Amino acid sequence: MGLALAFGRVSATAFGGGQMPAIRREVVRRNGWLDDDAFLEVLALAQLLPGSNPSNVAVLVGSRVGGMPGAAVAFFATVLPGFAILMVLGAFALDSHWPWVGGALRGCAAMAVGLTLANTIELTMKRINVVDIAIVAAVAIVVLVLHASLALTLAIFIPVALVLTRPKKDAA
Amino acid sequence: MTLGRIALVFTILSLLGFGGGNAIIPQMHADVVDQFHWITSAEFTRFFALGKLAPGPTTTMAALVGYAVSGLTGAIVATVAIFVPAAIVVYAAGHAWGKLRGNPWRERFARAIKPVVLGLLWAGVVTLARGATDAPITIGIAVVATIVMLRTEWNQAILVLAAGAFGAFVLR
Repeated sequence: MGLALAFGRVSATAFGGGQMPAIRREVVRRNGWLDDDAFLEVLALAQLLPGSNPSNVAVLVGSRVGGMPGAAVAFFATVLPGFAILMVLGAFALDSHWPWVGGALRGCAAMAVGLTLANTIELTMKRINVVDIAIVAAVAIVVLVLHASLALTLAIFIPVALVLTRPKKDAA
Repeated sequence: MTLGRIALVFTILSLLGFGGGNAIIPQMHADVVDQFHWITSAEFTRFFALGKLAPGPTTTMAALVGYAVSGLTGAIVATVAIFVPAAIVVYAAGHAWGKLRGNPWRERFARAIKPVVLGLLWAGVVTLARGATDAPITIGIAVVATIVMLRTEWNQAILVLAAGAFGAFVLR
Protein backbone atom coordinates (compact mmCIF):
# COMPACT_ATOMS: atom_id res chain seq x y z
CA MET A 1 0.00 0.00 0.00
CA GLY A 2 2.79 2.38 0.94
CA LEU A 3 4.61 1.30 -2.22
CA ALA A 4 1.60 2.10 -4.41
CA LEU A 5 1.25 5.54 -2.86
CA ALA A 6 4.94 6.37 -3.00
CA PHE A 7 5.56 5.35 -6.60
CA GLY A 8 2.12 6.43 -7.80
CA ARG A 9 2.66 9.90 -6.38
CA VAL A 10 5.94 10.24 -8.29
CA SER A 11 4.46 8.93 -11.54
CA ALA A 12 1.50 11.31 -11.36
CA THR A 13 3.41 14.45 -10.42
CA ALA A 14 7.05 14.33 -11.56
CA PHE A 15 6.62 16.38 -14.71
CA GLY A 16 9.67 17.05 -16.81
CA GLY A 17 11.95 14.15 -16.06
CA GLY A 18 12.60 14.92 -12.40
CA GLN A 19 11.60 11.42 -11.40
CA MET A 20 14.76 9.98 -9.92
CA PRO A 21 15.22 12.68 -7.25
CA ALA A 22 11.50 12.34 -6.44
CA ILE A 23 11.79 8.54 -6.13
CA ARG A 24 14.85 8.87 -3.90
CA ARG A 25 12.96 11.26 -1.64
CA GLU A 26 10.09 8.78 -1.28
CA VAL A 27 12.24 5.67 -0.81
CA VAL A 28 15.07 7.01 1.35
CA ARG A 29 13.76 10.03 3.23
CA ARG A 30 10.03 9.64 3.51
CA ASN A 31 9.67 5.89 3.99
CA GLY A 32 13.16 4.78 4.99
CA TRP A 33 12.96 1.59 2.91
CA LEU A 34 16.60 1.90 1.83
CA ASP A 35 19.52 4.02 3.00
CA ASP A 36 21.39 6.20 0.50
CA ASP A 37 24.07 3.61 -0.24
CA ALA A 38 21.53 0.88 -0.93
CA PHE A 39 19.55 3.28 -3.12
CA LEU A 40 22.65 4.13 -5.19
CA GLU A 41 23.33 0.42 -5.60
CA VAL A 42 19.76 -0.14 -6.82
CA LEU A 43 20.04 2.83 -9.18
CA ALA A 44 23.30 1.52 -10.66
CA LEU A 45 21.70 -1.86 -11.33
CA ALA A 46 18.58 -0.21 -12.81
CA GLN A 47 20.74 1.79 -15.23
CA LEU A 48 22.69 -1.28 -16.26
CA LEU A 49 19.73 -3.51 -17.08
CA PRO A 50 17.32 -3.10 -19.99
CA GLY A 51 14.24 -0.98 -19.38
CA SER A 52 13.41 2.56 -18.33
CA ASN A 53 15.21 3.62 -15.16
CA PRO A 54 12.18 4.65 -13.05
CA SER A 55 10.28 1.40 -13.66
CA ASN A 56 13.44 -0.64 -13.00
CA VAL A 57 14.06 1.15 -9.69
CA ALA A 58 10.42 0.54 -8.78
CA VAL A 59 10.76 -3.22 -9.41
CA LEU A 60 14.00 -3.48 -7.42
CA VAL A 61 12.80 -1.41 -4.44
CA GLY A 62 9.37 -3.08 -4.46
CA SER A 63 10.89 -6.56 -4.44
CA ARG A 64 13.17 -5.68 -1.50
CA VAL A 65 10.29 -4.24 0.50
CA GLY A 66 7.56 -6.76 -0.36
CA GLY A 67 8.83 -9.58 -2.57
CA MET A 68 7.09 -10.32 -5.87
CA PRO A 69 3.79 -8.59 -4.91
CA GLY A 70 5.75 -5.51 -3.81
CA ALA A 71 7.62 -5.43 -7.11
CA ALA A 72 4.36 -5.70 -9.07
CA VAL A 73 2.64 -2.96 -7.04
CA ALA A 74 5.57 -0.53 -7.33
CA PHE A 75 5.89 -1.28 -11.05
CA PHE A 76 2.24 -0.63 -11.89
CA ALA A 77 2.18 2.45 -9.68
CA THR A 78 5.10 3.81 -11.74
CA VAL A 79 3.66 3.07 -15.17
CA LEU A 80 -0.12 3.54 -14.87
CA PRO A 81 -0.58 7.19 -13.77
CA GLY A 82 1.97 8.42 -16.34
CA PHE A 83 0.26 6.29 -19.00
CA ALA A 84 -3.19 7.70 -18.18
CA ILE A 85 -1.99 11.30 -18.21
CA LEU A 86 -0.06 10.80 -21.45
CA MET A 87 -3.10 9.26 -23.16
CA VAL A 88 -5.27 12.24 -22.20
CA LEU A 89 -2.57 14.65 -23.41
CA GLY A 90 -2.10 12.63 -26.60
CA ALA A 91 -5.79 12.25 -27.39
CA PHE A 92 -6.20 16.00 -27.05
CA ALA A 93 -3.06 17.01 -28.92
CA LEU A 94 -3.08 14.44 -31.72
CA ASP A 95 -6.79 14.44 -32.63
CA SER A 96 -7.03 18.22 -32.54
CA HIS A 97 -7.93 20.24 -35.61
CA TRP A 98 -6.90 23.58 -34.16
CA PRO A 99 -3.78 24.84 -35.89
CA TRP A 100 -2.30 26.28 -32.69
CA VAL A 101 -2.08 22.81 -31.15
CA GLY A 102 0.10 21.66 -34.07
CA GLY A 103 2.30 24.72 -33.60
CA ALA A 104 2.58 24.08 -29.88
CA LEU A 105 3.60 20.47 -30.54
CA ARG A 106 6.29 21.57 -33.01
CA GLY A 107 7.64 23.98 -30.40
CA CYS A 108 7.62 21.28 -27.70
CA ALA A 109 9.37 18.82 -30.02
CA ALA A 110 12.16 21.27 -30.85
CA MET A 111 12.58 22.00 -27.14
CA ALA A 112 12.75 18.28 -26.37
CA VAL A 113 15.60 17.91 -28.89
CA GLY A 114 17.50 20.70 -27.12
CA LEU A 115 16.93 19.11 -23.68
CA THR A 116 18.15 15.74 -24.91
CA LEU A 117 21.16 17.29 -26.67
CA ALA A 118 22.15 19.19 -23.51
CA ASN A 119 21.80 16.06 -21.41
CA THR A 120 23.95 14.07 -23.85
CA ILE A 121 26.63 16.79 -23.94
CA GLU A 122 26.80 16.77 -20.13
CA LEU A 123 27.16 12.98 -20.03
CA THR A 124 29.88 13.14 -22.71
CA MET A 125 31.90 15.77 -20.81
CA LYS A 126 32.38 13.21 -18.03
CA ARG A 127 34.01 10.74 -20.42
CA ILE A 128 36.58 12.79 -22.32
CA ASN A 129 39.30 10.23 -23.03
CA VAL A 130 40.48 8.58 -26.23
CA VAL A 131 38.94 5.14 -25.63
CA ASP A 132 35.49 6.35 -24.59
CA ILE A 133 35.17 8.97 -27.31
CA ALA A 134 36.29 6.44 -29.95
CA ILE A 135 33.59 3.98 -28.81
CA VAL A 136 30.93 6.71 -28.63
CA ALA A 137 31.78 7.94 -32.14
CA ALA A 138 31.96 4.44 -33.61
CA VAL A 139 28.56 3.46 -32.15
CA ALA A 140 26.90 6.67 -33.37
CA ILE A 141 28.33 6.27 -36.88
CA VAL A 142 27.43 2.59 -37.15
CA VAL A 143 23.84 3.34 -36.10
CA LEU A 144 23.30 6.55 -38.09
CA VAL A 145 25.28 5.88 -41.27
CA LEU A 146 25.29 2.09 -41.59
CA HIS A 147 21.81 1.73 -39.99
CA ALA A 148 22.96 -1.18 -37.84
CA SER A 149 20.21 -2.58 -35.64
CA LEU A 150 20.30 -2.13 -31.88
CA ALA A 151 20.81 -5.88 -31.38
CA LEU A 152 23.79 -5.97 -33.75
CA THR A 153 25.28 -2.78 -32.30
CA LEU A 154 25.14 -4.17 -28.76
CA ALA A 155 26.46 -7.58 -29.87
CA ILE A 156 29.50 -5.96 -31.50
CA PHE A 157 30.30 -3.07 -29.20
CA ILE A 158 29.76 -4.52 -25.72
CA PRO A 159 32.55 -7.11 -26.22
CA VAL A 160 34.75 -4.49 -27.91
CA ALA A 161 34.17 -2.06 -25.04
CA LEU A 162 34.86 -4.80 -22.47
CA VAL A 163 38.27 -5.35 -24.06
CA LEU A 164 39.13 -1.68 -24.55
CA THR A 165 38.09 -0.60 -21.04
CA ARG A 166 39.64 -3.55 -19.17
CA PRO A 167 41.54 -2.54 -16.06
CA LYS A 168 45.23 -2.01 -16.67
CA LYS A 169 47.72 -4.19 -14.84
CA ASP A 170 49.57 -2.23 -12.19
CA ALA A 171 53.03 -1.31 -13.48
CA ALA A 172 54.39 -1.03 -9.97
CA MET B 1 -1.78 -8.91 -37.55
CA THR B 2 -0.95 -5.38 -36.45
CA LEU B 3 -1.40 -5.84 -32.70
CA GLY B 4 0.95 -8.83 -32.73
CA ARG B 5 3.50 -6.78 -34.64
CA ILE B 6 3.22 -3.92 -32.13
CA ALA B 7 3.74 -6.41 -29.29
CA LEU B 8 6.78 -7.94 -31.00
CA VAL B 9 8.48 -4.63 -31.90
CA PHE B 10 8.15 -3.19 -28.40
CA THR B 11 9.03 -6.42 -26.60
CA ILE B 12 12.34 -6.56 -28.47
CA LEU B 13 12.99 -2.89 -27.69
CA SER B 14 12.18 -3.61 -24.04
CA LEU B 15 14.68 -6.46 -23.79
CA LEU B 16 17.44 -4.57 -25.65
CA GLY B 17 16.88 -1.30 -23.81
CA PHE B 18 20.17 -1.18 -21.93
CA GLY B 19 20.98 2.20 -20.43
CA GLY B 20 17.43 3.48 -19.99
CA GLY B 21 14.77 4.79 -22.32
CA ASN B 22 16.63 7.13 -24.65
CA ALA B 23 19.17 4.60 -25.92
CA ILE B 24 16.40 2.77 -27.83
CA ILE B 25 15.31 5.89 -29.75
CA PRO B 26 17.24 5.08 -32.98
CA GLN B 27 15.90 1.51 -33.15
CA MET B 28 12.35 2.54 -32.25
CA HIS B 29 12.48 5.15 -35.04
CA ALA B 30 13.85 2.56 -37.50
CA ASP B 31 10.99 0.20 -36.62
CA VAL B 32 7.94 2.42 -36.35
CA VAL B 33 8.86 5.10 -38.95
CA ASP B 34 11.23 3.58 -41.52
CA GLN B 35 10.10 -0.05 -41.59
CA PHE B 36 6.40 -0.19 -40.72
CA HIS B 37 5.44 3.45 -41.55
CA TRP B 38 3.09 3.60 -38.58
CA ILE B 39 3.95 7.28 -38.00
CA THR B 40 6.11 9.97 -39.63
CA SER B 41 9.45 11.19 -38.35
CA ALA B 42 7.87 14.49 -37.28
CA GLU B 43 5.17 12.64 -35.34
CA PHE B 44 7.84 10.51 -33.68
CA THR B 45 9.56 13.57 -32.24
CA ARG B 46 6.21 15.05 -31.15
CA PHE B 47 5.37 11.82 -29.32
CA PHE B 48 8.78 11.98 -27.66
CA ALA B 49 8.08 15.56 -26.58
CA LEU B 50 4.69 14.57 -25.12
CA GLY B 51 6.45 11.72 -23.32
CA LYS B 52 8.82 14.24 -21.79
CA LEU B 53 5.98 16.58 -20.92
CA ALA B 54 3.88 13.97 -19.11
CA PRO B 55 5.03 12.64 -15.74
CA GLY B 56 6.22 9.04 -15.66
CA PRO B 57 8.94 7.48 -17.83
CA THR B 58 9.53 9.06 -21.29
CA THR B 59 9.41 5.49 -22.62
CA THR B 60 5.62 5.68 -22.18
CA MET B 61 5.70 7.43 -25.59
CA ALA B 62 5.37 3.86 -26.95
CA ALA B 63 1.70 4.12 -25.89
CA LEU B 64 1.20 7.00 -28.35
CA VAL B 65 2.71 4.96 -31.18
CA GLY B 66 0.34 2.08 -30.35
CA TYR B 67 -2.56 4.56 -30.15
CA ALA B 68 -1.73 5.98 -33.58
CA VAL B 69 -1.75 2.47 -35.09
CA SER B 70 -4.74 0.83 -33.39
CA GLY B 71 -6.38 3.14 -30.88
CA LEU B 72 -6.60 2.43 -27.15
CA THR B 73 -6.00 -1.32 -27.58
CA GLY B 74 -2.77 -0.56 -29.48
CA ALA B 75 -1.72 1.86 -26.75
CA ILE B 76 -2.20 -0.75 -24.03
CA VAL B 77 -0.43 -3.50 -26.02
CA ALA B 78 2.55 -1.20 -26.75
CA THR B 79 2.80 -0.10 -23.12
CA VAL B 80 2.70 -3.65 -21.74
CA ALA B 81 5.23 -4.80 -24.37
CA ILE B 82 7.74 -1.99 -23.72
CA PHE B 83 7.63 -2.22 -19.90
CA VAL B 84 6.78 -5.74 -18.74
CA PRO B 85 9.56 -7.86 -20.36
CA ALA B 86 12.29 -5.61 -18.98
CA ALA B 87 10.58 -5.56 -15.58
CA ILE B 88 10.69 -9.37 -15.45
CA VAL B 89 14.39 -9.37 -16.35
CA VAL B 90 15.08 -6.74 -13.69
CA TYR B 91 13.14 -8.70 -11.06
CA ALA B 92 15.14 -11.84 -11.80
CA ALA B 93 18.44 -9.96 -11.98
CA GLY B 94 17.74 -8.20 -8.68
CA HIS B 95 17.93 -11.57 -6.96
CA ALA B 96 21.05 -12.75 -8.79
CA TRP B 97 22.85 -9.43 -8.35
CA GLY B 98 23.46 -9.80 -4.62
CA LYS B 99 25.42 -12.98 -5.27
CA LEU B 100 27.63 -11.16 -7.75
CA ARG B 101 28.71 -8.65 -5.10
CA GLY B 102 32.44 -8.17 -5.39
CA ASN B 103 32.64 -10.02 -8.70
CA PRO B 104 35.04 -8.03 -10.94
CA TRP B 105 32.90 -8.71 -14.05
CA ARG B 106 30.10 -6.70 -12.57
CA GLU B 107 32.32 -3.60 -12.42
CA ARG B 108 33.78 -4.27 -15.84
CA PHE B 109 30.39 -4.60 -17.50
CA ALA B 110 29.17 -1.44 -15.80
CA ARG B 111 32.27 0.37 -17.06
CA ALA B 112 32.11 -0.99 -20.62
CA ILE B 113 28.45 -0.30 -21.32
CA LYS B 114 28.64 3.45 -20.57
CA PRO B 115 30.34 4.63 -23.80
CA VAL B 116 28.19 2.23 -25.86
CA VAL B 117 25.01 3.71 -24.39
CA LEU B 118 26.39 7.22 -24.87
CA GLY B 119 26.95 6.51 -28.58
CA LEU B 120 23.32 5.36 -28.82
CA LEU B 121 22.20 8.55 -27.07
CA TRP B 122 24.04 10.68 -29.66
CA ALA B 123 22.43 8.69 -32.46
CA GLY B 124 19.09 9.29 -30.71
CA VAL B 125 19.63 13.05 -30.59
CA VAL B 126 20.35 13.14 -34.33
CA THR B 127 17.33 10.92 -35.02
CA LEU B 128 15.04 13.24 -33.04
CA ALA B 129 16.53 16.38 -34.57
CA ARG B 130 15.84 15.14 -38.10
CA GLY B 131 12.13 15.07 -37.32
CA ALA B 132 11.89 18.21 -35.23
CA THR B 133 14.31 20.88 -36.39
CA ASP B 134 12.85 21.54 -39.82
CA ALA B 135 12.91 25.35 -39.96
CA PRO B 136 15.02 28.24 -38.65
CA ILE B 137 12.56 28.81 -35.78
CA THR B 138 12.58 25.20 -34.56
CA ILE B 139 16.38 25.06 -34.89
CA GLY B 140 16.51 28.27 -32.85
CA ILE B 141 14.29 26.78 -30.12
CA ALA B 142 16.51 23.68 -29.91
CA VAL B 143 19.70 25.78 -29.66
CA VAL B 144 18.22 28.03 -26.97
CA ALA B 145 16.97 24.93 -25.10
CA THR B 146 20.44 23.38 -25.18
CA ILE B 147 22.11 26.51 -23.82
CA VAL B 148 19.48 27.08 -21.12
CA MET B 149 19.72 23.45 -19.97
CA LEU B 150 23.52 23.55 -19.81
CA ARG B 151 23.57 26.83 -17.87
CA THR B 152 20.56 26.70 -15.54
CA GLU B 153 18.68 24.31 -13.29
CA TRP B 154 15.24 25.20 -14.68
CA ASN B 155 12.57 22.52 -14.67
CA GLN B 156 12.31 20.67 -17.99
CA ALA B 157 8.53 20.53 -18.05
CA ILE B 158 8.31 24.33 -17.72
CA LEU B 159 10.74 24.74 -20.63
CA VAL B 160 8.73 22.34 -22.81
CA LEU B 161 5.50 24.19 -21.93
CA ALA B 162 7.13 27.55 -22.71
CA ALA B 163 8.25 26.27 -26.11
CA GLY B 164 4.73 24.96 -26.67
CA ALA B 165 3.19 28.35 -25.88
CA PHE B 166 5.71 30.04 -28.20
CA GLY B 167 4.99 27.49 -30.94
CA ALA B 168 1.22 27.93 -30.57
CA PHE B 169 1.59 31.57 -31.63
CA VAL B 170 4.51 31.44 -34.03
CA LEU B 171 4.42 28.01 -35.69
CA ARG B 172 0.74 27.45 -36.46
